[in-house]
Amino acid sequence: MQREAGLLALFADPNVAANAVRAARELGQLDIRAAMPAPFPELLRSIGRPRSAIGAITMGGAVFGALAGFALTIGTSLRLPIIVGGKPVVSIPGFLVIVFELTVLFGSLANFLGMLTGALLGRRRSFMPHDPRFTRDRIGVFLPGAGPALFKMLEQSGAEEVRHVG
Amino acid sequence: MIAETPAAPSHPEAHATIAMPTAVPIAVQMAEIEDTVHATQGHLGPGWLLLLAAAAACIGIGAYSWSLIIRFGMQYTGLNRPVGWGVLITDFVFWVGIAHSGTLISAVLFLFRARFRTAVYRAAEAMTVFGVMTAGLFPIIHLGRPWYAFWILPYPNQRTLQINYRSPLVWDAFAISTYFCVSLMFLLAGLMPDAAALRDRTQGLRRRFYAVFAMGWRGTAEEWRHHGRAYLFFAAFATPLVISVHSVVSWDFAVSIVPGWHSTLFPPYFVAGAILSGVAMVITLLVPIRRALKLTAIITMKHLDLLSRLVILTSLILTFSYSTEFILALRAGHSPELETLLYRATGAFAPFFWTMVVCNCLLPMLLFFPRVRGSQAGLLFVCIFVNVGMWLERFNIVVSSLEHNRIPFDWGSYHPRLAELGITLGSFGWFFFWFLLFLRLLPSVSIAELKEETAGEHVEKNEVAHAA
Repeated sequence: MQREAGLLALFADPNVAANAVRAARELGQLDIRAAMPAPFPELLRSIGRPRSAIGAITMGGAVFGALAGFALTIGTSLRLPIIVGGKPVVSIPGFLVIVFELTVLFGSLANFLGMLTGALLGRRRSFMPHDPRFTRDRIGVFLPGAGPALFKMLEQSGAEEVRHVG
Repeated sequence: MIAETPAAPSHPEAHATIAMPTAVPIAVQMAEIEDTVHATQGHLGPGWLLLLAAAAACIGIGAYSWSLIIRFGMQYTGLNRPVGWGVLITDFVFWVGIAHSGTLISAVLFLFRARFRTAVYRAAEAMTVFGVMTAGLFPIIHLGRPWYAFWILPYPNQRTLQINYRSPLVWDAFAISTYFCVSLMFLLAGLMPDAAALRDRTQGLRRRFYAVFAMGWRGTAEEWRHHGRAYLFFAAFATPLVISVHSVVSWDFAVSIVPGWHSTLFPPYFVAGAILSGVAMVITLLVPIRRALKLTAIITMKHLDLLSRLVILTSLILTFSYSTEFILALRAGHSPELETLLYRATGAFAPFFWTMVVCNCLLPMLLFFPRVRGSQAGLLFVCIFVNVGMWLERFNIVVSSLEHNRIPFDWGSYHPRLAELGITLGSFGWFFFWFLLFLRLLPSVSIAELKEETAGEHVEKNEVAHAA
């Protein structure tokens, strides 16, 4: 992760931070990064990032799990084709339980790993200065490459602290 | 310090927010939440250590009892023809049931946007994980020769033998292991932001411990973007999973043709019973926890009140299921089904049956009275007895049906032996050992969600103030 130069502002109120983010966007600053102790919907909306694509990864995992479930049950039953309890060798209704469980298992694994990977890639791709207060009670808004006009705007918007980083 | 919101049983919804005037800045409220939850770990003193030692002693008793079975065989259990399933399988079903309410509170109430879940879901989720960890031991213990447990797994072998995917026991292995993995991931996903908050305020070994659970979390908007969606998908997966797992457990019985087991009623009946026992266990744990950890301001009587309404609902569903079981048997005329059910009510274990009816159907009705719901002692009394009743219910289902099969020639009796009771005691020790460690080491309430909710409340209050 490469350090980048920019302005870091600290806010005590998520709505004030959201207003500052909107004002920064109006001034042409489109690359806006933030850190916060909880997911404040207003602030996340104002940053304007698209919805996470994690759903596609989860769906991929779930489909893989379903196919693996069918392959495992049908494949192994055909490999040892013994009729048990008078049921057909390939008993789809019974196999559906395994298919469902593997769908959920692989979907959830993909979901979890997708979330971790997304967070890791996000940290690597876009530098965000860390401050222990961001996980406690303050919201940090970082504007990479921002100039003096934005410095003044941040100060006027209600930031508790504005400083240059990098 | 934070003040407790007074109980108001008639309140439609409890919010896990802090009773503070609007003028208090939101940052101060967020810091206060974190401090309160973090301070909980310091409140656990010698009493906690004593309980942990007692739990460890119970594990020791359980381990010794299991070792008797391993060393000398199943003769140390009361199992014999015709009763091949007894206390150990009863324990398995009981602990799977206990595990259920965690997912219900965590996932189902999340999807329904029930805000009262925020204060209680973390403890319930932990209970789920430890409940499944306990339940998963029993099929292995019940084998008698646990070193063959891997035979239930599909693995390549030279004899090209494969497992039978039509068997409910194989379904069980898949369902329970999936449930454990998904519950664990759900718990870890929720813990990440909280562990990061505690990592950033601690030093040394504790900091490193929290860093493991934080998994590099820094609270960036990018992380929250993925976390929010992932959490939603977890909830969406966990909701059908919670129904499927206890349905699969019920099929262990219902797929056979034993009277008293062979019924299409079993899946919903088992799911309702699991939720009843699980919610009752959550209340049983929350009542002492909120006092011991000084969390009465966060886990309020309103939360317990709403949970107790779930107990009433599931108890009514269960009562309906018990009645339906009898009515269906009666409508079938003279049948082995009716014989078995009458045997349950009048046979060797009739006292267990009637205790079960009192504990699961009658006692929860006391919760209709706001005075009982509003009293911690009253709640604890009802919920402990519900758990006793639910264990007896599983015992009745498992044992009495096998004792009284279709042909009188095949009738027999079962008496649990000390080793089985020791293992049961050990299972309680195992569950509470992990739960007590969890209380000491990890935040038992979701810090991030409380902060989010408090901020939302703050905005709402401000909007109302502006409008006025």
